[in-house]
Amino acid sequence: MEVLLLFVLVIGLMLVGTPIAVALGFSSVMFLLVFSESTLASVAQTLFEAFEGHSTLLAIPFFILASSFMSTGGVAARIIRFSIALVGHLRGGLAIAGVLACMIFAALSGSSPATVVAIGSIVIAAMRQVGYTKEFAAGVIANAGTLGILIPPSIVMVVYAAAVEVSVGRMFLAGVIPGLLAGTMLMIGIYIMARIKDMPAGEFKGFREILNSFREAAWGLMLIVIIMVGIYGIPGVTGAIFTPTEAAAVASIYAFLVATFVYRDMGPLKEGRSLLKNPHTLITALWHKDTVNTLRDAGKLIITLMFVIANALLLKHVITDEQIPQQITETMLAYGFGPIMFLIIVNVILLIGGQFMEPSGLLVIVAPLVFPIAIELGIDPIHLGIIMVVNMEIGMITPPVGLNLFVTAGVANMSMMGVVRAALPFLGIMFIFLILVTYVPSISTFLPNTLMGPEIIAK
Amino acid sequence: MATQSQPSGSDRLEESIIALLLGVMTLMTFANVVARYVFNSNIFYALELTVFLFAWLVLLGASYAVKKTLHLGVDAVVNAVKPTVKKPLGLFVVAVCLIYALLLLKGSWDYWAPYANLPPTSGRWFPTGFVEKYRGQGWYETQDIPVPFFLTWLETVFNEGEAYEKMPKVVPYLVMPLSMGLLVYRFIQAGMRVWRGEQDMLIVSHEAEDDVAQAAQRLKAEEQGQK
Repeated sequence: MEVLLLFVLVIGLMLVGTPIAVALGFSSVMFLLVFSESTLASVAQTLFEAFEGHSTLLAIPFFILASSFMSTGGVAARIIRFSIALVGHLRGGLAIAGVLACMIFAALSGSSPATVVAIGSIVIAAMRQVGYTKEFAAGVIANAGTLGILIPPSIVMVVYAAAVEVSVGRMFLAGVIPGLLAGTMLMIGIYIMARIKDMPAGEFKGFREILNSFREAAWGLMLIVIIMVGIYGIPGVTGAIFTPTEAAAVASIYAFLVATFVYRDMGPLKEGRSLLKNPHTLITALWHKDTVNTLRDAGKLIITLMFVIANALLLKHVITDEQIPQQITETMLAYGFGPIMFLIIVNVILLIGGQFMEPSGLLVIVAPLVFPIAIELGIDPIHLGIIMVVNMEIGMITPPVGLNLFVTAGVANMSMMGVVRAALPFLGIMFIFLILVTYVPSISTFLPNTLMGPEIIAK
Repeated sequence: MATQSQPSGSDRLEESIIALLLGVMTLMTFANVVARYVFNSNIFYALELTVFLFAWLVLLGASYAVKKTLHLGVDAVVNAVKPTVKKPLGLFVVAVCLIYALLLLKGSWDYWAPYANLPPTSGRWFPTGFVEKYRGQGWYETQDIPVPFFLTWLETVFNEGEAYEKMPKVVPYLVMPLSMGLLVYRFIQAGMRVWRGEQDMLIVSHEAEDDVAQAAQRLKAEEQGQK
């Protein structure tokens, strides 16, 4: 009963406009003071331990920083050029290229709104130019942009791994096949629509353009290679080289070097100055205005996101202490609910929650609640993680208030309803995808189990 | 939407600290990797130090985020209510935030004080005074971080002159009372802005709000260019 009160308080406070972090923290503190023996000092300690006790979360700031360096410059434009060179000549090619570009950018950025902003602002304009409707363009981008949290490296997956203590490496691997599958399904859907409605096709610019655009984009694409090879090593050649946290830090440094010294979209060499004539910039770039601004902007994102997560961990502390999951499990088993019913309930909770809340924050609250139940019911923890991520993806594009719908409406200067209608056909595809992922566990677990050995589940 | 006014002196200070902490965290972790593969050694305190810098970044940054109205929230309902309801709602939210920050300020002091050989406060909800009998824990140390030369005075203050082998815990945990104090201060300021009607919410709806506005402008400009 008290527990119900706790959740009503959290949701009520959020709805009246309390910062999510405070709504979570305030409710937890109140609950602990009223219903338990805990002191405020122990609450403060728990808050600090969000950092001290969860070194997995340390990967988040570095992934955000790497993606900030990558989004400052023309990386998005270069990826789009490469995508168009590859698939632009198909019927509906520009839309398909948009999806491909979102998939690639998702691997660089790890955030869905960021993907929509970076790719959408360029692709929507380009699609309008060759005769697509604005609605169609916006619908494509709103949907493809959600891949940001599914295709590794993904910040949401790091949060899940930290919240329920599974391996980040496994989660990333588990996201690869679903990510590619979702992207491919979207592309096929667009191709069929384009065939029926006879949408424009670009012309094939030849293999030279593919090669050239690849060479341009390669510096950005290398980031994915660094992270993946760093975390997993090269099978048969070397084992893992970095921890995920280190991989993210190395990726940040790499992204900084590429943005400053190779692409020169930012920093001291921006106006075409030569590095040879200005060798001192190798050092001064570290505190150049652009570098500091990027650090500051990434810092803002990290602060707001991590403050939510730290407070959500307070709530998790309450949930675990009160043995709430165990109570729910007992009730569910008493009513004869099996794994399938349970997964449907999880789907519904996340679809609704995903509309209102930032995915990482939602995950940190829901994961500790449903994880013990899932283990009890024999659901694979990695599989559960992927289901949750896909659910939140769809929550972001589900009317009336999905986050990606808002972002797309903002970017495209369209009404919310316009984007909702535009995104609807693709939402259908994503739903089919969700059902596939939910009820075919091997889509998620095949890769991690093959490459890293079967998961050992400790109950 | 964050206001794009001229940054004040305290803005610049806070922003520099944010950038510096994040930069040092990144370089420290990177240097550890380089040390391992190039010099075949190890900066043994890198991880612990980075974790503490991370905590400082987020906890100190939380008050900066209040000042700049950057905290994430759900604005779907707030945007739908009548303007006359907005102000009372905003003040209610400020009250909740202030209670949260004040309770955590007391908790943070009680948590940190023993490490500084200072008395924690008594009372469960409100500080009713200082505890008279307490055990100082100034001798508690972190696991790996060495004491830099400019902090050797700590041992005379907190450890009766006995040298610390590692950084005492009083240093990293200082951020708790410090950040919560700042948070109280910024929530009071935000409350005054709401009271005067200069601001009606304490939240943004999502992380990319500013970027979206910029992207929309770019797109608009491009489309007008085509016409």
